[in-house]
Amino acid sequence: MVRYLVTRVGQAIVVIVLVTVIAFLILHLLPGGAARATLGKEATLDQLAAFNHEMGYDKPWFQQYFLYLRRLVTGDFGYSYQLNQSVAEAITQRLPKTIVLSLLSTVLAVLVAIPLGVIQAVRRNRSADYVITSLSLLAYATPIFFMGLLMIILFSQVWPVLPPEAPQGFTVGEVLAEPAGLVLPVVTLAIVTIAVYSRYVRSSMVDNLNENYVRTARSKGLPEWRVVLVHTLRNGLFPVIGLLGMYLPALFSGALVVESLFNFPGMGQLFWQAALKRDFPILLGVTVVVTIATVAGSLVADLLYAAADPRVRLRRNVS
Amino acid sequence: MTEPLLELRDLDTEIAVRRGAVHALDGVSLRVMPGETLGIVGESGSGKTMTALSIMGLLPSGGRVTGGEILFEGRDLRSLPPDEVRRIRGVRMGMVFQDPFTSLNPTMRIGAQVAEPLRVHEKAGRAEARERAVEILRRVGMPRPDRIAGNYPHELSGGMRQRVAIAMALSCSPRLLIADEPTTALDVTTQRQILELIDDLREELGMAVILVTHDLGVIAGRADRVAVMYAGRVVETAATRELFRAPRHRYTEALLESLPEAADGERLYSIPGLPPDLSQPLTGCRFAPRCRHVTDECRAADIPLTGDTHQFACLHPAANQDQLHARVRPERAPAAERPPLLSIRGLVKNYGQVSAVADVSFDVAPGETFGLVGESGCGKSTVGRLAVGLERPSAGRITLDGTDIAGLSGRERRRMHRQVQLMFQDSYAAMNPRMRVDAILAEPLEIQKVGDRRARIDTLLDQVGLSRQVLERYPHEFSGGQLQRIGLARSLALHPRLIVGDEPVSALDVSIQAQVLNLMRDLQQELGLAYVFISHDLSVVDYMADRIGVMYLGKLVEVGPAGDVVRNARHPYTRALIDAVPTIDAPTVEGLTADGRARERIAIEGELPSALNPPTGCRFRTRCPLAAEICETEPPLTGDTHQVACHFPLRPARASGAEVAHQ
Amino acid sequence: MTAPVRSRWRLGLGVFAENRLALVGAGIFLALAAFSFLGPFVWHTDQVHTDLASVHLDPGTPGHPLGTDGVGYDQLGRLMLGGQTSIIVGLAAGLLATLVGTIWGAVAGFVGGWVDSAMMRVVDAMMSIPALFLFMLLAAIVTPSVTMLIVIIGAFAWLGPARLVRGEALSLRTREYVQAMRGMGGTSGRAVRRHIVPNAIGTVIVNATFQVADAILYVAYLSFLGLGVPPPAANWGGMLSDGLADTYSGHWWLLYPPGIAIILIVLAFNFIGDGLRDAFEVRLRRR
Repeated sequence: MVRYLVTRVGQAIVVIVLVTVIAFLILHLLPGGAARATLGKEATLDQLAAFNHEMGYDKPWFQQYFLYLRRLVTGDFGYSYQLNQSVAEAITQRLPKTIVLSLLSTVLAVLVAIPLGVIQAVRRNRSADYVITSLSLLAYATPIFFMGLLMIILFSQVWPVLPPEAPQGFTVGEVLAEPAGLVLPVVTLAIVTIAVYSRYVRSSMVDNLNENYVRTARSKGLPEWRVVLVHTLRNGLFPVIGLLGMYLPALFSGALVVESLFNFPGMGQLFWQAALKRDFPILLGVTVVVTIATVAGSLVADLLYAAADPRVRLRRNVS
Repeated sequence: MTEPLLELRDLDTEIAVRRGAVHALDGVSLRVMPGETLGIVGESGSGKTMTALSIMGLLPSGGRVTGGEILFEGRDLRSLPPDEVRRIRGVRMGMVFQDPFTSLNPTMRIGAQVAEPLRVHEKAGRAEARERAVEILRRVGMPRPDRIAGNYPHELSGGMRQRVAIAMALSCSPRLLIADEPTTALDVTTQRQILELIDDLREELGMAVILVTHDLGVIAGRADRVAVMYAGRVVETAATRELFRAPRHRYTEALLESLPEAADGERLYSIPGLPPDLSQPLTGCRFAPRCRHVTDECRAADIPLTGDTHQFACLHPAANQDQLHARVRPERAPAAERPPLLSIRGLVKNYGQVSAVADVSFDVAPGETFGLVGESGCGKSTVGRLAVGLERPSAGRITLDGTDIAGLSGRERRRMHRQVQLMFQDSYAAMNPRMRVDAILAEPLEIQKVGDRRARIDTLLDQVGLSRQVLERYPHEFSGGQLQRIGLARSLALHPRLIVGDEPVSALDVSIQAQVLNLMRDLQQELGLAYVFISHDLSVVDYMADRIGVMYLGKLVEVGPAGDVVRNARHPYTRALIDAVPTIDAPTVEGLTADGRARERIAIEGELPSALNPPTGCRFRTRCPLAAEICETEPPLTGDTHQVACHFPLRPARASGAEVAHQ
Repeated sequence: MTAPVRSRWRLGLGVFAENRLALVGAGIFLALAAFSFLGPFVWHTDQVHTDLASVHLDPGTPGHPLGTDGVGYDQLGRLMLGGQTSIIVGLAAGLLATLVGTIWGAVAGFVGGWVDSAMMRVVDAMMSIPALFLFMLLAAIVTPSVTMLIVIIGAFAWLGPARLVRGEALSLRTREYVQAMRGMGGTSGRAVRRHIVPNAIGTVIVNATFQVADAILYVAYLSFLGLGVPPPAANWGGMLSDGLADTYSGHWWLLYPPGIAIILIVLAFNFIGDGLRDAFEVRLRRR
């Protein structure tokens, strides 16, 4: 277990370092580079040179990278001229709200997806299974923003019970103070997640229901609910813990779209506005932070999985 | 007369499949009396497991009982409400399944799994249930049961897990225990321990046992009565001793003749053809297409079971006379003194810390069959893979026809592969599922750039007795026996002089196994092949091999002429291995006691040590009844033709070979 | 042994055809492709010049069965044009991702050792970057065009196939039939050519169909986020995002047709993928 922990954390660190390299390369090795992109097509060569010198972009690229890395480690992500504030400041304002949005919809998704998946597995190839499968597939095939829009039309226009815009609070507390405004963004983000999770829970449960140990449990004369909920569900859910980590990148991508649609003041919206204005310090900073959040989240999920499943937990202990 | 505990009347079971249904059971009638052991024996697809699952109400999805009655303690389970049946299943019956590695919940502690029926059915409190669970675990022979109760299944060996499964089935003291191939996944020495445990518990608890197995030997030693099943029907039932002494149904008779240990001449009887397809409607005797004594009547109508205590469904039964006779196995002439074809010296293979093969030496003469036996994990398969050059040894020398194969260049190495070929246990896994048989058979010829493939393939098909039509088919379209023939044909394609067979018949039913063994022997005589025949099954090796090597935990502990090793074993491990094999041998040979049970034998206890850190000196000393201090030093392999690596051999070397240190 | 000999492709095709959803998927795809690529030959519209005189015409207006949009383009014709982009980008990006991923995963799987570790860490790293963030970052740097969209999506969607193919390669390498072939003296090259590639190809093709579906969705997201192809070019995702602005004005015909078209084509590729998976697997099923 200890060895597993060390290896897994080591991998995560390697991955984060690689991510900074990738982010750095994307910005600097593409034609035109950051200067052209920031200053626009009309910028003169002199302006470009001046910009590059100011940012240290005229040094050899590996030096630039270490410069960049050193700034990252100290929390210096650069300065956004568009917002007239430091990138770190902009991110610290927005990040907690995005985490709240993602967390709420993940919790909702898990709470809905597990029962759905279990019902599908138990009633597999019957009508309930087909209906839920079709709905999940439909949810999966619908672009999130279209789904969100349909929600707005339904619940803000046709049957006006919820506001179509997210709370505009500055802090997490202020955002949470307007729960009605949170409903549509959270539910929209959760729907696609539910589709993915329930499909996964279903297949994991079906696999486990076909295992020999389930037959053994039945041979003990246990009631069917006990066979499903005590024996199968636990084994079926272990892999889902891992999925929570694997799904994080998709969840954040979804949050980007949802925040843009509902005007939710989180990191996704920050990123979106920065992209439209070609505000590169923000774009790179957010990308790196979101990625670190992803890596950290997957790490936590993997470790939780390893700690929860005795097969993993004890095997690592022995060897 | 006492009431039967369980009675099946005309039971029909169907399994729905993609198109239509498989009629797994057709009119099965059986009785189990209180306290008796009924053996149900049959080959794969005979319906023996479906019978067990039908009784328990645990049929796989798509399966259902469509007709007949299941009378348990006088009540028809089919007409009782589901909750009542569930209770009966939990309290009055218990079942033990085949595969102990997958039959226990991997994430639930042993104690909780054993205690669960008590909690559910007897509403026992947590502490009480746990206490009783520990007691049951102690009863099934678990060492330190209170500690084991806190373990998870993957921390236990297969034999231990099967004990847990038995404990679980017995927790509510059932009247009937159904054991479905309870030892098939286990090694023989463990199998023996488990079968004995079931026997003891039956006597102690006064319960009845249904022992379902494909292994006639297991049945012969343990059951009071036997039911023989074929293609979804019971074809014969009788008291065990009676059945093995005088089988009446022609299928039972043929099955007994197919056993390698029943061979009295050079050839086994092999039942031609395959069992019928149960998704098609069938009339008449289902064995008719494969029967030696078939007449038109047999095909005309269904044949009922007739007779009183010895029932059989056959119009032309075998004569009611003693068919067990002392077997006279002709001693095969020892191979002439010729330079060995394969010579292995000091072979070592380590995988990291694991010592898989440790200093193994033996020779194989041209045209000879060398049998390599041992339990799982003893390193016999690794020796095979090293011998064919699939892996490189950590140390030691392998010489083929006088050439050290380690020193070969790439091109020479490729040519070397023409000399030696491997034959696999699972031919299906060893064939690319996307290649047709013609491509599969052509592959070795293409690789070695051998000309005129067409003609060669035709010859190969003739040799293994397959028609040209198989060439256009894919592996998944064949049965196990046919696949093994195709595999053998592929191994023969390059005219090898040595074939290493790794458990080549272990996955096959007895009647099919006989076909393949006969074929291998015929080809050996025709082509002068040498075999290294690797198997866990001593009776098969005994039948096939001229000489036998016995392996234990990476070491060769005994090697000698087949007859000597099997009947005059010198190493205590070999002896224990032989004693653990359940056989149906005639009384005059092995001494069946009056009640039809096999005689008492010598057993080894305990578990195989880990190859990660094997015992020093003699690796068997930790389980050996004869072990002494000297055994901490490694005994060399000594002897002339019959060698043994033991400080206290069970018998001296025969007069012909004086005790000479090996080399 | 009495079943008629059938070729494996026909057998696979038979199973595919048996899977009704797969047939429906193939049907939807063909219908949408025909609509987009053949439709303009039947239904001639001007999709280059704006017509500010006929803005937001209702569906059913003569000459405009689906009405017109905010700059006067005929909505039916625009759907055809948008379909072309969506399908082309989806197919091309999906195939590009599959190609790159297959090569990357195959090399990692076959070479093994530290090369494999290094290559897979790169995949891990890139997979940790949420895809949309990456696409937007790139789309902000370069000027989006159809080709650029294909390259951007294709260049970063290959990670899934890479992992998949590596896993397949690692597992196929140890199969007994590969060992049997080595026991005949066969080379690694032959193992790859004759055994590993033919057995991995099914998985790759199935995955490719899901890649296409995902790529179509990505194009839609990029368009929604304002970084799709600029007008007068069109794609369904872009049309749908433009339609969002019209939600409150009641111009439903600008919203639902492209939305439904996207859902249909994504569903179609998912159905086809599921059907193909069955078709590839069934031949391996033992009796």
